[in-house]
Amino acid sequence: MLLLLASLGSWSAAGAQDVVLVANKGVQISEITDSDLRAIFMGTRTRFADGSHAVPVTLKGGAVHEVFLKNYVGENPEEFRLQWRKVVFTGQGAMPKAFDSESALIEYVAATPGAVGYASRISPQDGVKLLAVVK
Amino acid sequence: MSRRMHLLSRRMLLFLFAGTCTGSLYAQDLAGIVVHGFVSQGFLFSSNNNYLSMKSSDGSPQWTDAAVNISDSFADNLRVGMQLHMYQLGQFGGSNVMVDWALGDYRVNDHFGIRAGKVKMVWGLFNDSQDIDAVFLWILLPQGSYSIDHKSFYLAHVGVDIYGGIPLGKRAGTLHYVAYGGQSTIDLNDGYIQTFAELGLQFTNSLGGKTYGADLQWETPLRGLILGSSANWLAADGTAPAGSFNSPAYTVPSIYGKFSRGKVYLAGEYDRIPINATITIGTEVIPFVADGRSWFAMGSYRLSKKFQAGSYYSHYVNKAADTTQPANYSKDWVLCGRYDFNPYFYAKIESHFLHGTNLGYYTNTNPNGLAPNSNMLAAKIGFTF
Repeated sequence: MLLLLASLGSWSAAGAQDVVLVANKGVQISEITDSDLRAIFMGTRTRFADGSHAVPVTLKGGAVHEVFLKNYVGENPEEFRLQWRKVVFTGQGAMPKAFDSESALIEYVAATPGAVGYASRISPQDGVKLLAVVK
Repeated sequence: MSRRMHLLSRRMLLFLFAGTCTGSLYAQDLAGIVVHGFVSQGFLFSSNNNYLSMKSSDGSPQWTDAAVNISDSFADNLRVGMQLHMYQLGQFGGSNVMVDWALGDYRVNDHFGIRAGKVKMVWGLFNDSQDIDAVFLWILLPQGSYSIDHKSFYLAHVGVDIYGGIPLGKRAGTLHYVAYGGQSTIDLNDGYIQTFAELGLQFTNSLGGKTYGADLQWETPLRGLILGSSANWLAADGTAPAGSFNSPAYTVPSIYGKFSRGKVYLAGEYDRIPINATITIGTEVIPFVADGRSWFAMGSYRLSKKFQAGSYYSHYVNKAADTTQPANYSKDWVLCGRYDFNPYFYAKIESHFLHGTNLGYYTNTNPNGLAPNSNMLAAKIGFTF
């Protein structure tokens, strides 16, 4: 499998309008439902389906961020930010950690148990795993 | 330096501070301790009456809000935090920095969590966020439901909340619940205190009482549609040098719904606030009675990434009085626009077409009486991180 992946050079999204979901290698699940993914990124769930703690992380902006929010969370970046600010300023939770670049996000996901994020592509050397999204 | 100049200088300093921070502040993460904050400056200009204890008929900038919060997570399911808030709204608020909320939050799992301390009260669509205009389009929320000059009694309680979510299955959505109990307080710088003073009872200590409540929210399987209902039981007692105020517990129910998807936002809410209190001054007992019925309907559309526009209609009547008299109702048509210059800075402008005088007016800023109708322009700029 690794050889196959190495030959491909990298995992990348199927098209320019898609992103890949990445998670820390310690995350036991290999797929996640779209409703669980949305709930985790909106803060109404804090655990994966197997009960382990989920740590969602985001990019601060850009096309990949917009595509992820539109396709998987069903929000635009502006509403996403406003909804999280409401959570933060009413004391109900803490905003997901946000990164300037995909490389910084992937580095954090690789080092943080339970972390889940997204990127336009990853390589086998990134030390993260892919999560498939199912309906 | 005059008081007006002093206030303006203070506002300038707040915004200069905010401006110098933009380069470095998304939110400050200091070894796990996260810091967020906001500051905003409002302006009101009304055609007839003076609104919200300001000299708004002359145009008034006497509306400043600022807050900062810190939070830290000690474990996956344990979080502590605190928010300090300062506001000046006409004669209300002031330079005192207040604790908006300060709590510990232990989330056992996604179905059950517990928060304790000073906790924002979840009620209706906006109660817990009504003093944070950065998170919504409007400058003023519908005043029949969320009167900004009476907010201190309803915003937060000192006590305990339990909360959680119950999945109902793929085709039935999720139920989110919050239930709470504690003590709620009317601040000395609140509109209720001003109203009591105008009736002859000057409080020197804050008053309050026990409060209980619950909110049940159904996140329906239709993405973006949420239906909910809240109930809040409140009581208040207080003693002033010249007399006392007593409000037996009353129930404030609310039903609401909202639909938010993509660029579209639609929402509506119905609330009832039945107060049957008494003010005692010497041997004189003055009834303080109202049966407030309020509802609003609102909608907005995001025209671009930076610009959002919307409108709402807010309706309030006091059914315990003659509802044909302007003093016993308040109806308000509102048009609003919000422009976000970037993720940190925003500006808003809002027009109000006010009918009736039940809400937001005080005798000491309207000594010659009130016109039944007034138009008002509100503007606000803000910074948040």
